[in-house]
Amino acid sequence: MADSRLMRNVSIVGTSSLKQFSFDQPEWEGYSMYEPWACAVSQALEDANIRPNDVEKISYSQFAYFPTMGHICAPVNYLEEWAGLAGKPISHIEQACASGYIAFTEAVQAIASGEYDVVLVAGLECPKFFVPIDEPAYRVKPLSEYKEFWHPGVALFDCGYARFDGASDILLPDENGFYYKEFYGLKDEAFIDEAYAHMAINQRRGAVRNPRSLDYGSSKDYSEVAKDEGFSSDVEYLLSPKNYKITQFTRKSGAVMHNCAAGALVLMSDEAIKKYGVQNRPIRVIDYAASSLSPRKPWCFHNMNVEVRKQLDKNGFFKPEEMDLLITTCMSSGEQTDSAEVFGYVPEGQGLQYEIDHRTAFDGDTPINPHGGDCQWGHAMGCSGVNMLSEAVFQMRGTAGDSQVQKDIKKTLVRGMGGGHTTVGIILQNA
Amino acid sequence: MSYKLQPILKTYYEGLEEGKILGAKCSECGDIAFPPLPVCQACGSVDFEWVELPHELILKEIRWEDASVGGDYTWRKGNMFFSVPITEDRYCAAVAQFDVAGSSPFHVPLYGCTEENYQEMRKLLPFKVDVKLVEHKKDFLTVGAKVRQAEIDKANAAAGVEA
Repeated sequence: MADSRLMRNVSIVGTSSLKQFSFDQPEWEGYSMYEPWACAVSQALEDANIRPNDVEKISYSQFAYFPTMGHICAPVNYLEEWAGLAGKPISHIEQACASGYIAFTEAVQAIASGEYDVVLVAGLECPKFFVPIDEPAYRVKPLSEYKEFWHPGVALFDCGYARFDGASDILLPDENGFYYKEFYGLKDEAFIDEAYAHMAINQRRGAVRNPRSLDYGSSKDYSEVAKDEGFSSDVEYLLSPKNYKITQFTRKSGAVMHNCAAGALVLMSDEAIKKYGVQNRPIRVIDYAASSLSPRKPWCFHNMNVEVRKQLDKNGFFKPEEMDLLITTCMSSGEQTDSAEVFGYVPEGQGLQYEIDHRTAFDGDTPINPHGGDCQWGHAMGCSGVNMLSEAVFQMRGTAGDSQVQKDIKKTLVRGMGGGHTTVGIILQNA
Repeated sequence: MSYKLQPILKTYYEGLEEGKILGAKCSECGDIAFPPLPVCQACGSVDFEWVELPHELILKEIRWEDASVGGDYTWRKGNMFFSVPITEDRYCAAVAQFDVAGSSPFHVPLYGCTEENYQEMRKLLPFKVDVKLVEHKKDFLTVGAKVRQAEIDKANAAAGVEA
């Protein structure tokens, strides 16, 4: 009996390990986006024991390329050259922060269909910097100096109706808080606040131990931060004005970071794994599903999760009780809770309590985002999907180091969201 | 050998400021990437060394596109919207190559070729030209090519162009 919806086995056999970064970090002075891209691709190819010429197709993800790469449309050919891949067929996926996940599913389809055996998925993003159109690409400048209009948040929203309704774009971060109030009858908003504080603690513990996180080496557990700031506990600090609220329910510690990144994964068929003598444990793709909805209507995040769950259920290869790990986009605290509940990873209405009980920490029994997630580890928009999948691979191989989940991982659900308009669910299984 | 993360673009452009034209020579197969790239375009190796290239090129083709005429898609657009050279000299598109084993042809802006003489100049191909380091308004250099006087004189004479 088939254990996967795919017509052919597709496995992840190589990944990059480049950390999240920012051009204002001293070690990145003098670089352009092309060097980290080349590095990430080379790392993934080396991990998969292949050379550039062995790649048959590339699926590349990047969202904010136009201003940030120097007013260039789809620099596919130049990116290929930098990675030694000139001449290969390449697709550019632009679907906001879901780009990486969609690029991945396109790559899976390319192999599952029988058309290819070795496909590279690679992502790139530098959201807070831009390249002037009349200077070499290593002269990156902060986005604050960009004279044209560019605001990724506003650029995502409907220019027909919703851009002018003044409401749609600001309601997404608080959706889960309002959901708990409306559907679970929660009256005490302080409970949500406290739960999100514990979520931040759990996530930060993973991030400070993960060498690929943006602030690795400089950020500390919140218990230490609290002490430095003169608070008696991490929770007290996180509920103080020092960790100010940016919306009704979301505090600064529960809001997405934005940084630069490059990342890559190598996908192969079983035949290619044998041909290239891949030594790494293959991480098989069992199933995937996607949905897109408009944030003009209430409960957009939640309803996209519901749609993806419905598809996975219909396909018949997803069993929540079999998932050992959840890695999910977490643009704001509530997104992690809603995703965990809708996909049955935690019981409905219990997600917040799981955070308070620290069960979702990397060393808890129901780990979620052990690397730290978007709010503590880093988030590079169109590249983030590739990075999240890489973190899933490290965890499933047992090579995530100090933030390694403390149990065997047979199956992982990687759930990604982008733009407030696309959600993807991907089921991975250890071979 | 694993990929070694290092600045490529900055090294190249700073080299030009010092009068050096840098390429990347593959340590495995000897192929030279110009402009430099960190992965060999021929064999995929990430093991390369910086090499200094000569200030002389072999001109292989002249692809005349009048850079001053409105509607021209390539060179005029580049000139107007992107890296704007300080010089007002007219140029056309050409294909040249360093006379170094392992190098490959590349597109280059060519100075010294005019609408009046380019057809006669084509009959002289291939011939050697000098590298011209083009100065840009945002204070950086790029590699161009300039026809030597001998070839300009020959082409002008054949075309009946007065000196």
